[in-house]
Amino acid sequence: MDQTSRLLLVLGVITLAGILGLIWRTTQGRAKLLKSGLQVDLKELGATKNGVSVTAFGERITFLQFSSEFCATCKSTARVFGELESHSSDVLHIEVDITNRLDLANKYNILQTPTTLVLDKRGVVQSRIGGAPKQNTLEEQLGTFVI
Amino acid sequence: MAKPQIDPRGPRFGAAITATALAVTIYLGLDASTEAAAFTLLLVLTALFAIGAIFGTSKHPYAWLFKTFVRPRLGAPVELEDAAPPQFAQAVGLFVAGVGVVLHLAGVEYGLVAAAAAAFVASFLNSVFNYCLGCQMYLGLKRLKVIR
Repeated sequence: MDQTSRLLLVLGVITLAGILGLIWRTTQGRAKLLKSGLQVDLKELGATKNGVSVTAFGERITFLQFSSEFCATCKSTARVFGELESHSSDVLHIEVDITNRLDLANKYNILQTPTTLVLDKRGVVQSRIGGAPKQNTLEEQLGTFVI
Repeated sequence: MAKPQIDPRGPRFGAAITATALAVTIYLGLDASTEAAAFTLLLVLTALFAIGAIFGTSKHPYAWLFKTFVRPRLGAPVELEDAAPPQFAQAVGLFVAGVGVVLHLAGVEYGLVAAAAAAFVASFLNSVFNYCLGCQMYLGLKRLKVIR
């Protein structure tokens, strides 16, 4: 194969990777509205927070974060939600490791971690954030739930 | 028990070197006269992935380069990350590069180039966009029962 074609093919692969990256970056961390009205079952979830079982949802909003063992951005995502939670008493953040809970991964159709479900005060799923949430996504989500 | 932590910029630096080497591999693999060189390069990259996958990215030669020449010039990282996800990504890289080696040995035309291109996309996304494709695939692969 001549040199020009080879260089063009390499450039093509680089361009493809660049486009994939840009698509990924724009779709990550945004909230998608869900109208399924799925009610989260806390017992089934079996979530614990600081060693204590979670038995109630946040008074205004609950961020239910699904994480896994091999997850590059789960920790920073949890930190961001933890900060939000510490600023407002009616916000609850729950993190569930679904590495060995494929039943939950299937039920909530989790394909990537972190995936965060935004729940209202009754624990009904309102929207879903795939990947590490963007700052304005969080502000929007908190804004929708102002009482 | 605390999980081992690493500077997240280390694997990104390594991925940039890997991506560059893979781009060269694709270029060399596209012509019959340089195919042998491409194969040698892919063998080296496969061995490097194996080091990262088995011993962790902190034992990788690129990590040494990063610690010695790059990190002293950078400020402290904003936060550390778990060492396990990048190690898993190395295992995925090892698998893809290994497939390329096998395809080439089996005489599949452009098999080497296809595998190098797939690995290139993953390491490019890792270095430029900080997107860990291997980590992202972990749960999906588990749900599809490809891995346990």
